[in-house]
Amino acid sequence: MNIIEKIKTNKLIDDQTEIQKICLHKLQSSPLPNPKSELWRLSNKSKFSNFLDYSINEKDSKFDMPYPKNSHSTIRLIIGENFKIKLTEKNYSIEQLSEDELNKYIKEQISCFDQNENWSDLLNLSLSCAKNILGLKINGSKIPPIEIFSHASSNSLNAKTLVIFLEKNCEIKLLQVNLGKENSSLSQSTFFCLEENSSLNHGVVSYGENRSNLLNSLNVIQQKNSEYNLGSLHFKFNYARFEISIKQSVGNAKTNIKGMQITKSDEQISTYTKIDFNGPNGFLDQINKSLADDKSHAIFEGSIIVPKSAQKTDASQLSRNLLLSNLAQIDTKPQLEIIADDVKCKHGATISQLNEEELFYMRTRGITLAEASKLQLSSYFQEIISFIPVSKDRWDLLDTVLNQN
Amino acid sequence: MKESDPLLEVENLFASTNNLPILKGVSLTVYPGEIHAIMGRNGCGKSTFSKIIAGHPSYNITNGEIKFLGENINSSEPEERAQSGIFLGFQYPIEIPGVSNLEFLRVSTNARRKFLNKEELDTFDFEELVKEKLELVKMDHAFLSRSVNQGFSGGEKKRNEILQMALLEPKIAILDETDSGLDIDALRIVASGIKKISNGQTGIILITHYQRLLDEIEPNYVHVMADGQIIKTGGSDLALELEKKGYEWTDNFLKETN
Amino acid sequence: MGISFVRVYKANCNRLFLDNMDNENLVKDVVKEPYKYGFVTDIETEKIAKGLNESIIRLISQKKEEPKFLLDFRLKAFKKWKKMDEPDWAGLGYKKIDYQNIIYYSAPKQKEKISSLNEVDPKLLETFDKLGIPLTEQKKLTNVAVDAVFDSVSIATTFREELAGHGVIFCSISEAVKNHPDLIEKYLGTVVPASDNYFAALNSAVFSDGSFVYIPKGVTCPMDLSSYFRINSGDSGQFERTLIIAEESSSVSYLEGCTAPMFDTNTLHAAVVELIALDDASIKYSTVQNWYAGDEEGVGGIFNFVTKRGKCLGKRSKISWSQVETGSAITWKYPSCLLLGEESVGEFYSVALTNNLQQADTGTKMIHIGPKTKSTIVSKGISAGNSINSYRGLVKMGTKAAGSRNYSQCDSMLIGDQASANTFPYIKSKQPNSEIEHEASTCRISEDQLFYLQSRGIEFEEAVSMMVSGFCRDVFNQLPMEFAAEADKLLALKLEGSVG
Repeated sequence: MNIIEKIKTNKLIDDQTEIQKICLHKLQSSPLPNPKSELWRLSNKSKFSNFLDYSINEKDSKFDMPYPKNSHSTIRLIIGENFKIKLTEKNYSIEQLSEDELNKYIKEQISCFDQNENWSDLLNLSLSCAKNILGLKINGSKIPPIEIFSHASSNSLNAKTLVIFLEKNCEIKLLQVNLGKENSSLSQSTFFCLEENSSLNHGVVSYGENRSNLLNSLNVIQQKNSEYNLGSLHFKFNYARFEISIKQSVGNAKTNIKGMQITKSDEQISTYTKIDFNGPNGFLDQINKSLADDKSHAIFEGSIIVPKSAQKTDASQLSRNLLLSNLAQIDTKPQLEIIADDVKCKHGATISQLNEEELFYMRTRGITLAEASKLQLSSYFQEIISFIPVSKDRWDLLDTVLNQN
Repeated sequence: MKESDPLLEVENLFASTNNLPILKGVSLTVYPGEIHAIMGRNGCGKSTFSKIIAGHPSYNITNGEIKFLGENINSSEPEERAQSGIFLGFQYPIEIPGVSNLEFLRVSTNARRKFLNKEELDTFDFEELVKEKLELVKMDHAFLSRSVNQGFSGGEKKRNEILQMALLEPKIAILDETDSGLDIDALRIVASGIKKISNGQTGIILITHYQRLLDEIEPNYVHVMADGQIIKTGGSDLALELEKKGYEWTDNFLKETN
Repeated sequence: MGISFVRVYKANCNRLFLDNMDNENLVKDVVKEPYKYGFVTDIETEKIAKGLNESIIRLISQKKEEPKFLLDFRLKAFKKWKKMDEPDWAGLGYKKIDYQNIIYYSAPKQKEKISSLNEVDPKLLETFDKLGIPLTEQKKLTNVAVDAVFDSVSIATTFREELAGHGVIFCSISEAVKNHPDLIEKYLGTVVPASDNYFAALNSAVFSDGSFVYIPKGVTCPMDLSSYFRINSGDSGQFERTLIIAEESSSVSYLEGCTAPMFDTNTLHAAVVELIALDDASIKYSTVQNWYAGDEEGVGGIFNFVTKRGKCLGKRSKISWSQVETGSAITWKYPSCLLLGEESVGEFYSVALTNNLQQADTGTKMIHIGPKTKSTIVSKGISAGNSINSYRGLVKMGTKAAGSRNYSQCDSMLIGDQASANTFPYIKSKQPNSEIEHEASTCRISEDQLFYLQSRGIEFEEAVSMMVSGFCRDVFNQLPMEFAAEADKLLALKLEGSVG
């Protein structure tokens, strides 16, 4: 945990930006998350420590794109590459946030950070240099789909930050791809602010190579009548955490989340979600799927918070898990905290293996066991993958996932 | 009829699940084109018998053997049996949400065709074939785009089973209570489908406890099963006799023999 | 698809609750139903000095004339307790308990040895009479054997001879220590070790009395057994200990009831219950908990911090917990099952009702260790007033629990807009050949349902109480007959006024 030592002694970064100063200062007093807290107690200690073993990288190496670019109709951005973005078309504009705007927003966020809950963000903002922070302001209609890549180079710890303001009435599709190279750690923090009547179809695909690690934090604030749809897929990481915090700041918004994590060998991947309804008439439909094979460990913890002001909230959360091996382990905890009384809330969880009767049925029709399992798995994956926007025509995720199995 | 070789030979079959004996010495031989009916009360072992022939992993054969086309298949995988021409029509066809019916039918049809050294069909050719077979069971094309059996009514599920039989063209078909849950019109459609598919060559085992399917498809043999054994075999008139007398006599029969 | 689906959620929460009732402002019009068990029995008691140290423990042990192994057990537990911290993870807000300000032994003064009920102080008999638990020969309940515990000691156990005829031992744990020390030494602390948690350690150090049940091999206990716990003095804690052993192929149904007088201070109740079921044995443990809950301002009431756990040691053994929790200022209780024996079964059926400023944090742990084990959890939480009602549960499938299944259902009902309901189900599986299914829902009483009942001439309050008891039906069905009726009444009483 070489990084932590340096944070303690303030020897981590020489030329600190204002944001880095604030965050490092916050971390100095208690540089590590509380291992006993709900968010961290199941986290594999040695893997987490391995995450922090690498030294910081500021020079990005080239990397291969997982799927081809469609030059006409998508906008492709890579965090960390030096560029200036200013796209102004008839219907829309995509503009980089000014340094002031960015600093102001991030500082606002930091001011309500909880040392433990937002530890991943604090670390990210401590490490992210200006070049690795991408801030965008998006406005208008008929906006082409956007792809944003973050990647970690081998043998280093990389921090990338994304901030997006979606202005009123704006509608976009955005795919975020996080790639981890062999023996790397990626800290990715993302902040979305959805203004009134805006809508975001967001996809997150994170996949790593050998021994790569990921701390992926996603913070979404939704204003009135906004709609946020998230389809996410995490696989092939030695250690990955996906922390989602969504706040419907005045209620009256819609959130749909379909997430999936796949673990094999001795990997540990976990998803933590916190959905905060801060006003009435909020809607949430969430499903999280885990699939754990070999000696791996998959974790899901979801909390839904419905305070008194959140009357007529309609929230459902489902955790569905497949345990494919005797040595694998799944922990799941969907939880509800409700004070408002006029609400419809439900949650459910299942852990099981592939259904034997279904397998037998298919086998009596001549389909081999392997094929039948694959059919079952593909339908299990399909529900999530079909929810991931933008790259459908160019990237066969289902195939990628099935063939790594 | 018996000049040809038998399709299925079941010899003194004993089977159990969770150490609980279910079949206690069943013997049955089926030749091409023969129609056998197995009748009996619920729980007599009829359905288990059909699942064991199809290779359900929950049952253990403790004694005896099953031969298909002269070869012992006691330990064959269910898919091998299906590919080589054994078809089981389920009493309760399983719903498989998320798996498209069309895709499922195509994969299984191709598995059988591959076994028969026939060319595998691509999506377009397969659709042609399905269209033709749909006609047999009077099913709407829309069923194909739904998930396997999901949300199908009882009758639709049974028709989907017969559609699969039509596509797989089995050598022997075991139809487990295919008549249950069907109204009389649906029953006729299913029965005529079965007759057309079998074309006088397929061996058929009908498992039922009602006469009404047997009115539509007349069996050559009727077997009465009780407590895991076939206790009586006769012609189609035996079914009529059973209908009249009910199954109580089978209880008495067992009492007498034990 | 390959995995079992969460079934259709049970509570179909339509558009909900009493909007039109707000005008009538009935919520505030709370009928203050007095706690009818709140009286104090004026009886001379023997109390030891306040505070907790080694000599107090030696004193308790000496008073009870205990064998050495038990004193050692207590002292060891006390050592452990001193090193432990009071847990705060449940997030229960309460003032720190001053453990030195509690009396750890309090007993009504009576003759040294009581040979028959006739010698029991009539005041005590009268007390239990008032509580609806008559003990005397003439009046005692005909179908239930009762062990009555008053503060720290058991004062009487009915039907002892009849039970002894069947080989069943039913007595206070103090007597069991004297008469059956081998059983106590063999089993005490084997299900809930002294080091299990803070309150279990405290209990192990200072427990005063409680009930002991032993059902021999092959015996179906001829009647229900029941313990009735009464806290009388305001400054003494109650630390009872219950141990039930069901030998091979035996079965027993055990009921537990409790009340306490109204004091404006908080009284600590830290009990430990241990159940052991051997091959093919079955234990059904039912509780109706109605400790004093404090007043509407949250003053006074019992802190109910209880450790209850059963061990299904034998093959095909079964332990079933059912509980109706309506009392106490704070309840902190997770009756659990360790399912070791192959095909053993654990069940948990719970209704927890909180009102005013009550807090209940209750649930269960089902630890599947052996193969083909099965557990069922049905929890119904009803929160009214400003109360907080949480379900907290753990279902764990160990690596050897092949073929095991769990089904959990947790439903919450909220009454009024100040109450809160939380659900924290922890689920952990290391065994692919096992199935876990959890579902939970939250709802209000549907306006349409209420209207329907009212349109058939049913009074508003009655309609609400019908709906609540309907909501709890799955659990009430699990209670022994007499208890079910009592539970129903209790709920209606507790809710009275809070809804309208």
